[in-house]
Formats: sequence, C-alpha cells, structure tokens
Amino acid sequence: MLSVLSYGRLVARAVLGGLSQTDGRDYSLVTASYGFGKDFRKGILKKGMCYGDDACFIARHKSADVLGVADGVGGWRDYGVDPSQFSATLMRTCERLVKEGRFTPSSPVGILTSGYYELLQNKVPLLGSSTACIVVLDRQSHQLHTCNLGDSGFLVVRGGEVVHRSDEQQHYFNTPFQLSIAPPGAEGVVLSDSPEAADSSSFDVQLGDIILTASDGLFDNMPDYMILQELKKLKSTNYDSIQQTAQSIAKQAHELAYDPNYMSPFAQFACDNGLNGENPMTSRCCCPLWQSTQTEYVMIVGTVYFPSQSSACLQLRRAASSRMDCGGTPPSLPPLTAKTCRPLFSAESASI
Amino acid sequence: LSPSHAPQKRVFPMLTLLSMFYYICLRRRSRSGTRGEALSSRRAVESGQRAALPVSVEVEQYAKEVLDFSSHYGSENSMSYTMWNLAGSPNVYPSSGDFTQTAVFRAYGTWWEQCASAPPPFRRTPKSFHSQDYIELAFEEPVYPTAVEVLETYHPGAIVQIMACSLNPFSQNPPADVRWEVLWAGEPTKVLTPQARQFSPSIKQLSFPTNLIRLEANSSLLKYYTELDAVILRGQRERPILSLYKMPRIDICDLSDSDDELLDPGASFRQTGDGKHMNLGNGYFDRLPYELIQLIVSHLTLPDLCRLAQTCKLFHQHCSDPLQYTQLSLQPYWARLNDTSLGYLQSRCTLLQRLNLSWTGSRGALTFSGFSSFMKVCGGNLVCLELSCCHFLNEACLEVISQTCPGLQELNLSSCDRLHHQAFMHISKLTRLRRLVLYRTKIEQTAMLSILTFCTELRHLNLGSCVMIEDYDVVVSMLAVRCRLLRSLDLWRCRNLTERGLAELAVGCRLLEELDLGWCSTLQSSSGCFQHLARNLPRLRKLFLTANRTVCDSDIEELAANCPALQHLDILGTRMVSSSSLRKLLQACPKLLLLDVSFCSQVDARIVQELSGLFPNVAIKKSFTQ
Repeated sequence: MLSVLSYGRLVARAVLGGLSQTDGRDYSLVTASYGFGKDFRKGILKKGMCYGDDACFIARHKSADVLGVADGVGGWRDYGVDPSQFSATLMRTCERLVKEGRFTPSSPVGILTSGYYELLQNKVPLLGSSTACIVVLDRQSHQLHTCNLGDSGFLVVRGGEVVHRSDEQQHYFNTPFQLSIAPPGAEGVVLSDSPEAADSSSFDVQLGDIILTASDGLFDNMPDYMILQELKKLKSTNYDSIQQTAQSIAKQAHELAYDPNYMSPFAQFACDNGLNGENPMTSRCCCPLWQSTQTEYVMIVGTVYFPSQSSACLQLRRAASSRMDCGGTPPSLPPLTAKTCRPLFSAESASI
Repeated sequence: LSPSHAPQKRVFPMLTLLSMFYYICLRRRSRSGTRGEALSSRRAVESGQRAALPVSVEVEQYAKEVLDFSSHYGSENSMSYTMWNLAGSPNVYPSSGDFTQTAVFRAYGTWWEQCASAPPPFRRTPKSFHSQDYIELAFEEPVYPTAVEVLETYHPGAIVQIMACSLNPFSQNPPADVRWEVLWAGEPTKVLTPQARQFSPSIKQLSFPTNLIRLEANSSLLKYYTELDAVILRGQRERPILSLYKMPRIDICDLSDSDDELLDPGASFRQTGDGKHMNLGNGYFDRLPYELIQLIVSHLTLPDLCRLAQTCKLFHQHCSDPLQYTQLSLQPYWARLNDTSLGYLQSRCTLLQRLNLSWTGSRGALTFSGFSSFMKVCGGNLVCLELSCCHFLNEACLEVISQTCPGLQELNLSSCDRLHHQAFMHISKLTRLRRLVLYRTKIEQTAMLSILTFCTELRHLNLGSCVMIEDYDVVVSMLAVRCRLLRSLDLWRCRNLTERGLAELAVGCRLLEELDLGWCSTLQSSSGCFQHLARNLPRLRKLFLTANRTVCDSDIEELAANCPALQHLDILGTRMVSSSSLRKLLQACPKLLLLDVSFCSQVDARIVQELSGLFPNVAIKKSFTQ
C-alpha cells in the first residue's frame, strides 16, 4: 500500500535588485505564492493561501514584511478533525496581528505566541496542530528575524551559496515540534509544544539575498543542491522571473514527489532509521519505498524593492494566482479590497 | 437704463425694448431661481436636511483609533471580540455571523437586568435616554459630517445615539471648551434577521468639523450579542454653504444644549402683593399641600426640574428641596456635566442616597476639587454610588469617598481602567459594602484581599476581566472565608482559577445564586469541580461556563439533579455535551429561561429546534459563524 503523505511547501524568495546599497532606505519583500493542494474531500471550501493542510500568509506593515508557513499535522484526520483548519486559522490570525501592528519586528516568536493565544480566544472550539515558521524582514534595520517551530524552515542564499538555514525540530521521525490544541482529556497524549520552544535567529540581509521559506514537503523531496541550481538561474528582480523560478522549483519538486524510482531525502532518512512500520498516533502508513503520492505546498515568491517601486509590486503580489496543472488545483488569491470580508471560517468545523 | 438717458428718438424704443427684455429675463431667472430654491428648500424642510450647493469633495474615512468604551466581550490585550476591532476597515462585512474580528459588547438582551446583582433603575431617567454602552472613535481628519455608517455584522439594531465632538483628540493644544452634539438619536430596534447591515441614519448638520464620534448602544431587544465591524465617517472638509431658505428642524433636545438649566437661578421672584401666604399669585398651586406639589414635581426630569425652579419662588422652593434629590442620575447628561454644574447641585443634594455619575467627567470636565467638595456635602447619606467609566477618578477621589460615605453599600467602578491600583486600598474602609463592581479595573491582589478582609457584608462582587490579580484561588478562598453572605460572583475571564478555589467557594458561600465562570480556561471538568459546585449550591440561578471546553454530560446531569432554581445557563463551545443530558436539565429546571449552546458540536440546529418546541419558555441560543 502506498504511503499517504501530505506535504506543504512554501517557497518565499526575496530578490533584491542589484542597485547600489543605500542603508537609509527601507527594504521590502515582493512576494508571489505558489502551491499544490490535494483535495481529500472536494466539498471543503479552500481559502486563499491554503493548500491542503498547509497554509501561509504574507503581510505587510510599515515597519516590516512578514511571511509565515504552517504545516498542519495530518494525523488529526483519523480523529475526525480537519488538519487544515488549525494551520489556516493560525496563519490568518498571524496575518491580522501583523496588519494591525500588534507585533515587534525583532520578535517573531511573539507573533507566534500571540497568534496561538488568539486561537484560544475563539468561540469556536478549534482542534488540531501544526508547525510554524515565521520570517520577518525589518525594513529599517535590514535584518531578518526568524523563528521556526517544527520541520518547516527557511534558507537564505547569497551569491549562490546557502548562508543561513533553519534546523528541523523533531521529537522523533515524522513528528515535528508542533503547536496544538487538544480535545479535553487528551492533553497528556497529544504533543503540544509551546511557542517558546521555537528556534529563533536574527541576521543581516543584503541586497540580492534570496530567502526561501518552505514547509517540509520541499526539503523532503528536493535536496539543497537542486534548489540552489534553480535559484542560481534567477537573474533579474522583476516579479515574472521570480514567479517563473518558483514555478520551476515547484514543478521539479512535484515531479520528484511522484517519481517512484527517486530516493528523496525523506525516503533516505526513513530508510536510514529503519522505519517501515506504522505509528498510528503521529505518522502515517509507511512503506519500504517511502513514496509520497500527494504533495501539497504553497509557494510565495518575494522581491525586495525600494519604496518608490513597492506599490507596483504590491499589486503584482495581490494579482498572483497559484494555479498549477498537476494534481490539485489550488485556489487563486482573493483580491484584497477594503470591502472584501475574510471571516476565519466558512463552515463550521467537523464534529467528532 | 432710464429712458431719460436716451439721446435720440431712434434709439429710445430700442433701448426701452432692450431694457424691458433684460428686465423680463432677469425677473424670470430670479423667479425661477426663487422657485427652485423654494422647492428644494421645501423638500429640505420636509426631509429635515439642508439644500446645499455641491462644491466640496466628500471625504470617506474609517476610524483610526478606538479611544474609549464601556465594555467588551473579549480579553484585554486580545483582538478577538474586542472593541479595538471597530477601528480600521471592515474584516467581515458583508458576511454575517459570529466572528472574532468584530467589536462585541459584554452583554445583550435583558438577561443581566433580571439578575439580583443588577441595580434598580434610577428615578427621573428621561424617556429618551436608552444608552447602555458606548464607544468613542477618532478619525484621521476633521470633517463636517454628511453621513455616519455603522457596519453591523451580527444581530444589528443596537445603535441608539451618534454624537460628535468639537475636540480633535490628536491636537496638541486642546481647547478649553469641548462640545458634544447629537447627530442622531433613536430607539433600540429589533431587527428580524441577524444578518449584516449597513446602518446609516440621517444625521444633523454640524456647525463645526469633527473627527471624534461617539456611538451609544442598547442591546436589550436583541436576541444575541450584536457585533460591529467598522464605522465610516463621510463628510466635507469645507463648511457646507447654507441655503437661504433653510428652516432648521426645531428639536426639543436642542433647548437643553445650554448649561443654564443646571445653574442656580438668579431670576427675580414675584413680589407678594399683600404679604399674605394664601394669595402669592401662584394660582391653585397655593392651595395644594406641599407634599402634593412635591409628588407632582417628582415626575419631572432633572433639566425640567431646573427650569421649573426658575419660574417662581414657590417652585424654586420645591425644586430645591433636598427630598427631590434622594436619587440623582447624571449619566444622561454626561456631556454637559462639569465642576460648576455639580457645584450648583450641591445645596440640593444633602439627602442624597443614590448617585449615578457614570460616564461623566472625561477630558477635564470634572476634577478632584469639584468631586470632593460635592462628596463632602452630599456623601453622608449615600448608599449607592455608580462611577462606571469615570476617568476623572484618581486615588484622592477614592480616598474622599471612603471618608465621606461611611454608609456606602453599593460601589460601581466598572471600566475605570485608568485608576491606579493603589486607589483600591481605600475601598476596604467601606465596611458596609454589599455590591462592588470592579469589571475591567487594574485592582491588584493585595488590595483585593484587603477589601475582602474588611467588607464582610458583600452580596454581589464583580471581578470580570480584572487581569492584574495574580492568583484567583487565593482571592476566592478568602471570599469563601470572609464573605459568606455572597449571592453573586462574576469571575468572567479570570484565567488562573482552578478547582481548588472553586471547591472552597462552593463550601464557603452557600447562598450563592449567580456565578459567572465564562472563559476560565483553567477549570477542568475532570476534576469534578462543576459537579461539586452543583451539589453544594442548591440556590444556583445563573451559571456561565462559557468556552469551558471540558463541560460534559455528567456536569449537566448533576446540575439537573441539584439546582432546580436554575434560570440562566451558558455552556458555549463544548464538544462533550449531548442532547440527552440537556433534555434532563430542561425537564428538571422548570424556571430555566436562557440556555446558550452556541458552538456545542453535539447540539445542532435540529436538536435546538426540537428542544425549543418541547420547552417553549426557554430561549435556546445557538450562534453561528456563517
């Protein structure tokens, strides 16, 4: 029996134009998102920026640009809980926090903590868990502040080389650190990590840096050197070329995921650990070949511009649609006008 | 063009013709102009609006900042169901539903008024005053408003008054004179469907630009919490040109815009003709007994009382009689109350027993000196003091209260969130206190314990959203030991209360009738705390377990078995309660009036409908998100 794995991918890139370095100016990110979603149940309405169990957000504030990825833990499906609800709501909440300015750019863990706290303030009893990775570009100080809880992560590429990379946080195989809300009585059984357990880091970024944020789906299917190869091809800084590069990475990763003969990093790791059994609580069915038949990911591509150009980029970002022809058809990004209403829920959560 | 200027005979008829021509044209234009303007202004008179020439650009803005409000449903420091959501662009509209991104008040309907902890209404409340809650919004740019639109996304109909202020809250040099004008006032309405709507009543024209708007709300007719998404202020930057034929609609409320009626009249009195008491020129009023005139006058509202005092010496005597001022509510006149007017009322209020100064005194209208001099004169007999949202209060004011009101039994400091925590220490001197409301204040544990040590007569205590208290278990244990007469306790959002504190409370305060434990997430049903509660509090009439996800069937069954007097129950958001235990509860508690099962996943709309049919006296609430 083939393994049923759901991945999420998020690729965010910040490409800075090769302009002269002027430290006084505010950096910013221009982003385009991509993703794959595998619809288990066709009837469920998928919100924008949510692909399968993975969700992401991009938010702008005058002090910072923030990207976030959350990978919903699929094991909840066995208990009648929709795993995408938690990750999508978490990302939506973090997005709203950023837009309303209720955060400090130097503390992405604060965003995560506040976002998690707000989930508990919802009248609707949310259940589920997800990893989270949040990347904040502080415009003025030109610093990137990151935090990562779980096995999603980010890469920073400068001059064709990886200069920063996040570490995966796992309790054991395929069981990453995760934020969760458990049903009453099950708190002892369900893994629940505190937002404070996230890894944080801060470092300077330069013009020309590429920041790639993705959930484990990308890194599990595509080794670093292949990702680097694609990123090296990115020469110009306009939105279309970024989107193209992201698209090609996405396609490649997707092909690799469906390739029965390819030994992905994930499969390699699994075999190295001698894992081919079934752990009902935390992972899915495994098979000796460790093939993933479903890939779900969201891709955000970002470009950094100086303020004079940022308005054009914002429109491009908002117009981005992430439509791919293989597997699922992820929904397009909704137009963000003042009259658009984005309630957190479009349907009540499934009951146990 | 006078014909005498015509030099030649040939030109003369032409000039005459021309002049006649001009005259006719001008007349026609002016007549049509007059007629046109008269028409439009007649329309204007009929519709109550002005006929203006459209010259300036209309500016549309969302609220920039929420400055002040009386209550909200959500937690402090949260953005879920809190008043701060009213600023900015809408997040939900035009969808309807119960969403976190909206602004929600703390209460709705009449459920809270039915509780024993609710104070009786004040006498002389004007019939036009309906407001229960308010929120003040600041906009970026001052404009002459043409429209105020409120986007209501759930159970609309709560807005009863819209007011505008002449003060710019962002200005560095605030003027001394702050004016509030009522843009629109109405009655609380009951809209049939809970769907979203854009509420935009026709507003009065203002003579000054404003960027500070105040909404006042009354949710008593609504079936569930109202939720507001955004407020749009439309206006013009330049002062609109008034038409010549503008006839302003004379509003009786406009007459009370001046401060004069609260001033002590210096009016001249009628001279008595022959000095005899009988015929003082007051007509039949001279024949009526004193007490009867007092009775008549007791039905007047405060402004009318003050106006009547200015008419003649007899009525001045009646209207200044301290017996008319045993209950005084200045909340409806919050916009016009200041130190001076409070000072003028002083001499009449020596027998004051119940005083309502809620909402008054903001932005420097009342100061410590004015308040303290009033309290020193009038505090001696005071039994009830309502000071909700009184931002002028400071520690010194509370000290004065504790010194001048030894017999005080009721004190309401709801939403006085700017009051320093040290101020609350003075409350422990009020040893006869029976009702104490500290909702949304910054009281700390030391002061709270001190109050509980000395105020052993407490019957009603509200500690909702008191976020600065570190350990509620300690506070509640103290309550259980010292305040055994407690009848109602509001612990809404008291986040660190555990089953230990609750167990002690159930054993110590056996007379407890109302208990609000909404959003107390640290209480776990598995500890048996709710069952213990039910077994020990047979008089329980109100129990809120809102958003406690652990409430289960056994808890409900225990309530059914032990609390036959139950009237209000809220178990929002639990997945563990099924319809069978609810059925048992509804059968065992014949007095049940309110049952909130919103977001209880096992209780769907069909079950709610079925239960409502079987138990028609119970309002079963099931909120929805879409």
